[in-house]
Amino acid sequence: MEPIRIDPKRAYDEALRAQQKIAASMRVLRDVEDVDYGATDKEAIYREDKVVVYRYKGKNKPTAKAPILICYALVNRPYMVDLQDDRSLVRNLLALGEDVYIIDWGYPDGADRWLTLDDYINGYIRRCVDAVAKHAGVRKINLLGICQGGAFSLCFASLHQDRLQNLITMVTPVDFHTRDNMLSHWTRDMDVDLFVDTLGNVPADLMNWCYLTLKPVRLNQQKYVAMLDILDDKVELENFLRMEKWIFDSPDQAGEAFRQFIKDFYQGNKLVRGGLEIGGKPVSLKNITIPVLNIFAEQDHLVPPSASRPLGEHIGTKDYTQIAFKGGHIGIYVSGRAQREVPPAIHEWLAKRTT
Amino acid sequence: MAKGPDDSARTTRAQDDWQALSQQYWNAWSDATRKAFGGTPAEAVTDKTPWHEGLEQWSRMFDAAKAQDSQSEIVERLLAGARSYFALLQSLAEKGGAGKVDPQAWSDAVRDSFNFPGADAALFDNPLARALRELAGKGAKGFEQMMETVQPAMREARALLDLPAFGYAREHQEHYQRMAQAWLDYQHETNRYNALIARASRRAFEVFEDKLAERTEPGRQIDSVRGLYDLWVDAAEDAYAEVALSDEFREVYGALVNAQMRVRQNVQREVERVATDLGMPTRTEIDSMGKRLHNLHRDAKNQAEALPALIAEVAALRAEVERLKAGSQPAAKATTRAAKKSAPRTSRKPTGKE
Repeated sequence: MEPIRIDPKRAYDEALRAQQKIAASMRVLRDVEDVDYGATDKEAIYREDKVVVYRYKGKNKPTAKAPILICYALVNRPYMVDLQDDRSLVRNLLALGEDVYIIDWGYPDGADRWLTLDDYINGYIRRCVDAVAKHAGVRKINLLGICQGGAFSLCFASLHQDRLQNLITMVTPVDFHTRDNMLSHWTRDMDVDLFVDTLGNVPADLMNWCYLTLKPVRLNQQKYVAMLDILDDKVELENFLRMEKWIFDSPDQAGEAFRQFIKDFYQGNKLVRGGLEIGGKPVSLKNITIPVLNIFAEQDHLVPPSASRPLGEHIGTKDYTQIAFKGGHIGIYVSGRAQREVPPAIHEWLAKRTT
Repeated sequence: MAKGPDDSARTTRAQDDWQALSQQYWNAWSDATRKAFGGTPAEAVTDKTPWHEGLEQWSRMFDAAKAQDSQSEIVERLLAGARSYFALLQSLAEKGGAGKVDPQAWSDAVRDSFNFPGADAALFDNPLARALRELAGKGAKGFEQMMETVQPAMREARALLDLPAFGYAREHQEHYQRMAQAWLDYQHETNRYNALIARASRRAFEVFEDKLAERTEPGRQIDSVRGLYDLWVDAAEDAYAEVALSDEFREVYGALVNAQMRVRQNVQREVERVATDLGMPTRTEIDSMGKRLHNLHRDAKNQAEALPALIAEVAALRAEVERLKAGSQPAAKATTRAAKKSAPRTSRKPTGKE
């Protein structure tokens, strides 16, 4: 049997439909206003340099005994967790009675060129955790680290566990040397000293270009061909534009922190192999004995599941839970399935462990 | 095999049908243009014009309508992605109209669709290189733009490459030689990288044909161009991942990045030299100040954090001293009195000569 049965008339109809959609989009795109993001009201409770900690305001008073502080990656903006009304991890957690705070790292510039991982982890994160605990009137809080922020949270928990009740990691790389980790594979022969000495802060555009080249046809062509289907639908188009805005709204990376992160995590794989030091203090996953929930995405091309899954083997805690979510690195926050599954899973897990 | 009269008649009929469809396509395009932009298309089209050309015209018209910058970027990305898809639509509609076609011919049709008229001939048969070239953003284009700017200096430097450096200006000459060498190294690494991308593109067509072969099973046939396009994307990404995860790619990628950084660094040094000559601050100086300032900032933070504990400790010590003073005051007075009593009396006045 022939693998393809495409009638020329049908191809023509497809072309005509696509053409009409694009024509309609030319009108719609001119009418669509600049898309906004951030669905939930929030107030700043702590500021330091460019870092701001926000507390989200839910419709009802939180019922949870300890707050959650979200520690996002440095490489993207944190509003992905609260993108819009119907795609918001934050809003769903608030609705379940959680008290949610978030660290906004801001956009590093030349003044932040010399920030180290010590400054981020033993400095900013520690002071943010203390600020949240003080604001919430508790001694210990729950920390939720996402992606690179998850790796930072693991380091923080290893060094300052006395400040935490529970740790949640989402799409967090732990073993950086698994066979399918393309990003890590590409960094291994890079001279990162030369790279940072030359560039200083690492430009966001360069980072984005690197991410797009992980799947060049899918991310640069197919995604926009698929966009043809929603071009005449204003709401869907706005959703698409909002996501595009997030993808390309990236901060530059502080040079020194980038250098250390690539050397110790991507190249040295020290979180798993050992020998990691932050600010001269040894970091070991074995030190972490508080309860840990590790959530990862099965179709994640940035942090493959193989990179997240080994956390269970290396962590010291006896209370370790792992959830494999059907979706990708971004889908875990914004897909319909994620809205239904992820916040309740976090809430139920915490409810059993927060005192 | 020679074509019989029936075959010729079928081919002629298919060509006529195709022409009619193509004409209808362009009529619909003209209507859509009037509705979208409120005017007639600026450039004439015929049934021979490639379909994707309509997108180019819309892109120009959208730009002229002065939309928001962010949305102009979206349109640019949309049309870049859609261009290949439209070329595929046209290629397959044409191919499908010609009668029964085997998988190899479909694969060729897909390959041809990437080599559409007006496309960069250097990227023919290399759709992955095209996809990488089309990546938007300054991160991808910034270095190329920088290199265009310094190209004349590079040409000059290359001419000096083999000359022995001596005399007063030898350091400058050696710097230019290093810069030229770095540029040549970068070209070399770029060529190695491009060769791997071309290999991935070739492999993509092989994987595509394998995937097509799997679709011969009943119920798995592809009946839309979008379905075929999606299958092609799967094949292209599989082939790319195969190459990109190889040890060879890792070595070449690292060498390319390092080579580019060496070029940038040499250019920066040259810019710094000129800045110094003009009495302007250089990036090295600013970095040096930034580092010093950052360390001071960190020390100040650490001290500020330690301060409340120190203040509390001092307050506690003061309180303890006060307590001690209060508790031991009579004893202290007694001791003083006792000390006075036991001290030998002397009337001797200092002479000032001791």
